Amino acid sequence: MIETEPSVSKSWKLEPSIAKQTQGLIVSAFGDLPLADALFLELGPQAGGAWLTELRQEIPISDATGKGCSAAAIALTWSGLQRMGLDAEALESFSPPFREGMHQLDRQRRLGDNPGGPTVIPGGARWSGNNLRDGGTQAPAGTTTPCTVHVVLLLYAKGETELDDQARRLTPRLEQGGVHVVHRLRLSLMPDAKRVAREHFGFADGLSQPMLYGPTIISPQDPGAEARRRWHGIPAGEVLLGHLNAHKEAAPGPVVAATSPQARQHLSAHGVSEGFRNLGLHGSYLVIRELRQDVAAFWNSMGEAAKSVGDGASAQWVAERVVGRTQDGALLRPDGATQPAAGADGNDVGFAEEDVQGFGCPLGAHIRRGNPRDSLPSRDGPNPDLKPTKDLLSSTNSHRLLRRGRKFGDEIKDRYVDDRATRGLLFMALNSDIARHFEFVQQTWMLNQAFGTLEEETDPLMGPKGLFSIPAAPLRRCVAVETFIRFAGGEYFFLPSLPALDYLAALPPAALPPAGAP
Amino acid sequence: MQTILTAVLEVAPKSADLLRTRIGALGSGKKAREKLSSTVPTLHFMSMSVFADDQYDPIFVLEANFDGRPGPFWAQLEAVLGAELRDMLRCCRAPRDGAAGLFDAVTRAGSRAPIAPLLEARTVWPAARHQGNRGLDRNRILEEACLFSSAQAQLNRSVGNAATSARQVHDSLRKALLPTFGWLDRKPPPRVSLWEGIVDLLRFGVPILLLVAVLAAPGALLGYRVSGRLSVAVLLGLVSLLACLGVLAIALRWIETRDPPQDDPVLDGARLRAMAQLEDQITQNHMISLAHVKPGILRTILVRAGLFVVGHWVRVTAHSGYLGSMRTIHFAHWSLVSNGGRLMFHSNFDGSWESYLDDFIEKAHAGLTAVWTHGVGFPPTRLMLRDGATSGGKFKAWARHTMNESQFWYSAYPKYSVNQIERHARVASGLRKRTLTEEEAAGWALDL
Repeated sequence: MIETEPSVSKSWKLEPSIAKQTQGLIVSAFGDLPLADALFLELGPQAGGAWLTELRQEIPISDATGKGCSAAAIALTWSGLQRMGLDAEALESFSPPFREGMHQLDRQRRLGDNPGGPTVIPGGARWSGNNLRDGGTQAPAGTTTPCTVHVVLLLYAKGETELDDQARRLTPRLEQGGVHVVHRLRLSLMPDAKRVAREHFGFADGLSQPMLYGPTIISPQDPGAEARRRWHGIPAGEVLLGHLNAHKEAAPGPVVAATSPQARQHLSAHGVSEGFRNLGLHGSYLVIRELRQDVAAFWNSMGEAAKSVGDGASAQWVAERVVGRTQDGALLRPDGATQPAAGADGNDVGFAEEDVQGFGCPLGAHIRRGNPRDSLPSRDGPNPDLKPTKDLLSSTNSHRLLRRGRKFGDEIKDRYVDDRATRGLLFMALNSDIARHFEFVQQTWMLNQAFGTLEEETDPLMGPKGLFSIPAAPLRRCVAVETFIRFAGGEYFFLPSLPALDYLAALPPAALPPAGAP
Repeated sequence: MQTILTAVLEVAPKSADLLRTRIGALGSGKKAREKLSSTVPTLHFMSMSVFADDQYDPIFVLEANFDGRPGPFWAQLEAVLGAELRDMLRCCRAPRDGAAGLFDAVTRAGSRAPIAPLLEARTVWPAARHQGNRGLDRNRILEEACLFSSAQAQLNRSVGNAATSARQVHDSLRKALLPTFGWLDRKPPPRVSLWEGIVDLLRFGVPILLLVAVLAAPGALLGYRVSGRLSVAVLLGLVSLLACLGVLAIALRWIETRDPPQDDPVLDGARLRAMAQLEDQITQNHMISLAHVKPGILRTILVRAGLFVVGHWVRVTAHSGYLGSMRTIHFAHWSLVSNGGRLMFHSNFDGSWESYLDDFIEKAHAGLTAVWTHGVGFPPTRLMLRDGATSGGKFKAWARHTMNESQFWYSAYPKYSVNQIERHARVASGLRKRTLTEEEAAGWALDL
């Protein structure tokens, strides 16, 4: 989620005509704006689009054409679009996960979010869109949250004063329009003395990002670009709706009927059937999860695990195996060496040829589960049945996420002492197919007890307490790890293009009450 | 040797809901699964479902994947679920063929006639099948899994800490486990016997050779007649073969470019919800699908040819469980039902349905496309093999559209993936050996 050394020549860009219509968050994590506010808004009933016009007059939503001294992004939940008065047909044209929401009963089970489960905060998640689709007004117990979020507004700035100023100006105008800030997180990307931005456990974060390519993308031409594209390249439609995706289709997005003058004025007919306008084009889905981190539990558990390993292993040694990288972000390699962090070429490597057994980066390490590169399906023992192929890598790459998360909460003073403060990561990821991208990664890789040939293990960092094996010769080490990360709220959002925002802002306020509205 | 089969009966339409309830009652509790687990020791996976179809009355499908021959299996199954099955069969319609008498005998009030003969008479054999852990019978899978977890416990308790070499790990582990697992000293039967391998090869090769001979015959005979030389006969035979295949390809492209696809099939919300509720409860999942076969004589031939080639190719080549580069399938099979008018698919696989379909889309699409391209509404294909399933979104929508929830589904080893079962087998195979070389031991220890 962070480009630690942002360098223009190494980044991909959108074609200028498309960049003007696309939110800046798609192309940039705004790494040069280290502070941010995530404002979660609740709309009044039948809010219409007027509040959005007000908001944009105060805070312009950034496009993808260049840098500024502040930036903003906005995205809406399905229930938020419903409150804005988007018609039922258009609401139905969104993808099923977005319509049903992150907290739908079957989805909770697949994402490991069952209320009362070990990786959810006590009392259950605090916020969601409360989409309430199943059965209209009645949702099954445990699938609603006390706080309802319709909109997320992300404000980025260089310093605290600018952020506070923006909020001070904006909040009263929103309140006048019946829009309330119901939840707020101050996000930070502050680099440390080594110029590395770290998450709360102390690890450099967001190092592996997919690199978009395709006819709508201007690819970087630096010498390392070819290698990066080989390992991290994905078609633009893996993130952008309406663009060609990895399954050779235009990534499906929402449409609206072309009957209204607003639809005809603001939205393009590109790629949709006669009689419709493309609401999704150049937009994306934004997955947000508020993940609380228990830093003291993590480091104490690493200390315990180190004792069980013996041989003078330290807590840091175990922690780095749990993550799969050194604390400064270098990938662990089988010869015990580490390679330079991202930015250099150290991240543009696979596992199949160099680290098939996981002697460097363990088979179940957090980053290997998150992106197995060319190592799935796992090969048998010392005589692999399969040779790594381009297919295996591209198959993994059709499940990548463009990460935009940042941490919230103050840094812990002593990482072994619980100070009871709330801190964690606001996980944010852009993708065009929530089921194939985010949910797949969470279910099939992260939390899968049968990931590769592993057994009865889940992600050692994100999963519930359990075992974690560290391949070694002559025999693997097996350590116990506790639960460190808990889900506190989250939802699927639609991140519209700027023309789509124009259209939504033009929605009339007093639409008929939508069916099934809370 | 494992058997894969389905029994298919037509359902009396008015009793379809009752049948669903009866199957569901079996599926909701643990009791039936526990009884199957303890009393049917040959059974790997089994499902029962009622398939609804707009064009036909519903059908009742019982799918079973088990060790050995059907006879003993049916007998065991009847002993456990005889009464329940009889009540289910009572919701079906009497067959109009020779099985009518059997059906009456089984379903009449107070009947105690064995149901196995009826199910045998209604058995549909798969036209193409694939098995992940080929040649491992159910008990061996469970025993080796048990051995594996005992080995893990041993390692974590004592052996692991003192390990200085892989050979030493092997020796002490074997010593510790042998008293409990006496079978480590016995040689296991081969997973695929030489004879089975030869039969697979002949079943594939002979029909192909015959077909080649028939297609080449006109040219070869003409060549020999005219010139009297063998070389000319072979050459013209080849020309004849290629001409036949060329004509076939042109005819196929002709119909392919005129086949109407169904890009946006209606996906019934309630049915999708019913499927989602049943999915992702254990490591494995189940998928059942019923698609109509496209009309015309060429399709009638090609769907069978596709099933034949795919099924036998997999049988001959996929011994280690990999299908292309995917290895997530325990048992999967296609069969033709309704006089070849419908193509039925069953799969017992690891992971989520999304990940299963993605594997097909991204890794193993050719074989699947070669069969499902004959299904009505399937995404457009080129020469049976290209495109089709690679159109990810369309293919997923089509597949869901043809699917039905599995009202009852049983897995004998719900915790284990194909990969894990193979891992257990490798660990067991090493422990069966009295000694290993240091190199062998090092390779073997990677799986611990």
